[in-house]
Amino acid sequence: MTAARTERVEPGREAATGDAGLHIRGLRKWYGDTRALDGLDVDVSPGEILGIAGPNGSGKSTLIKILAGEVAADAGEIRLDGAIWETDVDRERVAVVHQEPQLFPNLTVGENVMVGREGTRALTRPLSEQERALMADLAILQFRHRPLATVPLAIQQRVEIARALARDARVFLFDEPNSALTPEESNDLFRRMHALADAGRVVLLVSHRIAELARHADRVALILDGRRATVLEGDRLTQEEIAGGLVVGQASREPDEAARVRSDGATVALRLSGWTHVDGDFSELDLEVRAGQIVAFVGVEGSGARELVRSLAGFERAAGRIEIAGHDRERDVAAATSLVAPDRQATLFDNLTIGENMVARLDREITTSGGALRPRRMLQIAHTLREQFRVKALSVNLPIRSLSGGNQQKVAIAAAIVKRPEVLVLEEPTRGVDIGSKREIYRLMGEYASQGRAVVIFCTEVPEVFEAADIAYVVSDGRLSDPLVVASFPEVEALARAITRLERHVPDAMTLPAA
Amino acid sequence: MTHEGSTTPAVPGAVVRSPSGLWSGRAREVGLRLGGLAIAILVVIVIFTFLSKPNTFFTVVNALGVTRGMSTIAIVALGLTLVIVVGEIDLSFGYMYGLASTLIAVSWIVWGWPLLFAIPLAFAGAALVGAVNGFLVAVARIPSFIVTLGTGSLIYGSTLLISNTATLNPQYPPPGKTVPQNEVDWFFGLSNQDLPLGFPMQGIWMIAVALIVGFVLSRSLFGFRLKAIGGNPLAAELARLPIRKYKFAAFITCSLLAALAAMLDFAFIGSTQPNAGLSLLFPVFAAVIIGGASLAGGRGTAIGTVSGALLLAIISNGLALLAAGAYLSQFVLGSVTIAAVVLDRFTQGLRR
Repeated sequence: MTAARTERVEPGREAATGDAGLHIRGLRKWYGDTRALDGLDVDVSPGEILGIAGPNGSGKSTLIKILAGEVAADAGEIRLDGAIWETDVDRERVAVVHQEPQLFPNLTVGENVMVGREGTRALTRPLSEQERALMADLAILQFRHRPLATVPLAIQQRVEIARALARDARVFLFDEPNSALTPEESNDLFRRMHALADAGRVVLLVSHRIAELARHADRVALILDGRRATVLEGDRLTQEEIAGGLVVGQASREPDEAARVRSDGATVALRLSGWTHVDGDFSELDLEVRAGQIVAFVGVEGSGARELVRSLAGFERAAGRIEIAGHDRERDVAAATSLVAPDRQATLFDNLTIGENMVARLDREITTSGGALRPRRMLQIAHTLREQFRVKALSVNLPIRSLSGGNQQKVAIAAAIVKRPEVLVLEEPTRGVDIGSKREIYRLMGEYASQGRAVVIFCTEVPEVFEAADIAYVVSDGRLSDPLVVASFPEVEALARAITRLERHVPDAMTLPAA
Repeated sequence: MTHEGSTTPAVPGAVVRSPSGLWSGRAREVGLRLGGLAIAILVVIVIFTFLSKPNTFFTVVNALGVTRGMSTIAIVALGLTLVIVVGEIDLSFGYMYGLASTLIAVSWIVWGWPLLFAIPLAFAGAALVGAVNGFLVAVARIPSFIVTLGTGSLIYGSTLLISNTATLNPQYPPPGKTVPQNEVDWFFGLSNQDLPLGFPMQGIWMIAVALIVGFVLSRSLFGFRLKAIGGNPLAAELARLPIRKYKFAAFITCSLLAALAAMLDFAFIGSTQPNAGLSLLFPVFAAVIIGGASLAGGRGTAIGTVSGALLLAIISNGLALLAAGAYLSQFVLGSVTIAAVVLDRFTQGLRR
């Protein structure tokens, strides 16, 4: 089982804790030709909270899936308190608390806690004393008769914890648990996390939120390429260290690109004033984006960055004044923007071919005045785009799903660009895309900007900002930071630290209004 | 995952270019589907030819009968195909059929309207029904299954109210009413003309509608976007395709074609009653599904739907000639419909 490789042992830690806790050795997982985990080692002791951070594609989510029993590892060993933990035999010992609780929304809170352990003799049984006690501990006993779907998300998560406690789970893995919670609810959740650790259970916290990792975790493991887990603890456990460590070797830039300064003095492509989200995710923003610029908005989920970017294209409702290339009427603004969602399920048409997907947003360009399609023109546009975007396709007539993820993403972006919007809006333009395609996509974004258009992107990853953007704004709690000129940062670590510092400006969480 | 960069240079000439346009991939898929249908139709013809003794099945007269028999179902099914392609469902077309013929009959025969007003009234009613369906689905965002289940019942109630549940025939108007003979002749002429070989007039109508719907689905921007919207509504919304307008248009067209089929049947048969059209629900859906449209949306062709209607018509006709009886016909039609979908799943698996 264990792959032959040099053992990486945490100095001091291993000896002190012996066999207790969770010990992962040489974990490997391949999806086809793609390596997700390549010999990962992680150790967690009872009583501590281990933070886990890593960029998208680092193997972090594969680790979660393996621990949740959703996928099986190809090789490696997971030991729980000294014994080898087999996912299929001993699933119950590890509990995963997701952002969206995976429970039964139609059953009551009480039924959710006991479902699966009802016993066999009666139709239903009342809650046991022990179940009532732990539900009271988690302050959910009073909701026991309410259908799960009718209680707030924070309560649902506590139900998930109660469910795991009722079956005496040993390991608790929290996967981005608070991205949809209010600050008060988050704080409550962290208190419960600490309580679990103090009671001697093994707690893992996976989060994108660097500030929370620094505040709540005893140690933080950074997973970069599915192999090394750099562990930060003690004095090194600071937001800057986490931010810098996460991007080491994750970005590179040609020297001439670093010197690139686009379009000072160019016309304003996009102007916002008093821009306020209807649902309150951001408020009173003033902003100018110049033609020829790529502007990145960086923020964790819930910061308002995603909503802001979507609102520019009219897909989140906002009040205030927006002006794009001189237009301020809602219809003209909408016509001057194109949005590319991050998820290819939301951008591509599975029932159409590659070529048809490329021209799906066009109208007059591909029809006669009578509304009939011009097949040869469509084919010509598709071929041009295939070459310009270097889409690796044998034929544009093949189904869209025959392409690799990166090439699918290129098609999605091509379909938006061919409409020639004044402002091209991209959400996480390279999520789940291989390195080669990433470079291509950044190049295409740069080309489009240099044709005098503005490109606005929503990013969660600093390397993407470093490689693709000219200007970056950090969004936290619905407010914008001062602009960062990306070219003025010589290396990605420096940019990551600067971005983290700006995110830290958030006032203490307790004083924030509910989201 | 492809490995991009220096190893596989994207030289334009290095990739194989398909010669025949964006449609060759699509054409292959449709071709496979139609090939399967053609084989099924041939097999059924051969079976009935051998079973019917003396041979009353494989004759010109019977073929023309089948053509007339399929045309009503085909015309209504072509309208339904548009709705199915855009990813919605319409259960009200059968009731709409009854309402349309009733509106013509009552306004013309009972109220004494000129026929030239009576027919537009029926189509205006159909357009209104389609618009109501479209509004409730596209604007109010109620699932189309529920909407059209409800409007279907409302339509049927209106039909019963308007017609007073009477069977109407312009040649034998109710006491005290008269209908000009020249109007009757013109109206019956819509579905009864002396064509070469005795080809049924309704077949001509069917071919005309099929050509138009076929063009719309495969060669127009409207059809292209209809497929895109049905294939991925979320992506269509983010790409700003005019989803509401297209759903309105699909529901209105479906109602209008149901009204057209109702008018033609009324003209052919010579009389109409409120419950006409209620039996259309199964064969029309079956024709669309056998024709290869996907209930999930995004897939469907006019020629497929017409072929589906043809297959069903041949089977009903053959079973009727064999005097197989009502229950056996139902068994066979149900089995064929399910088998078509199963076979489609199977061949789709093979294509991958």
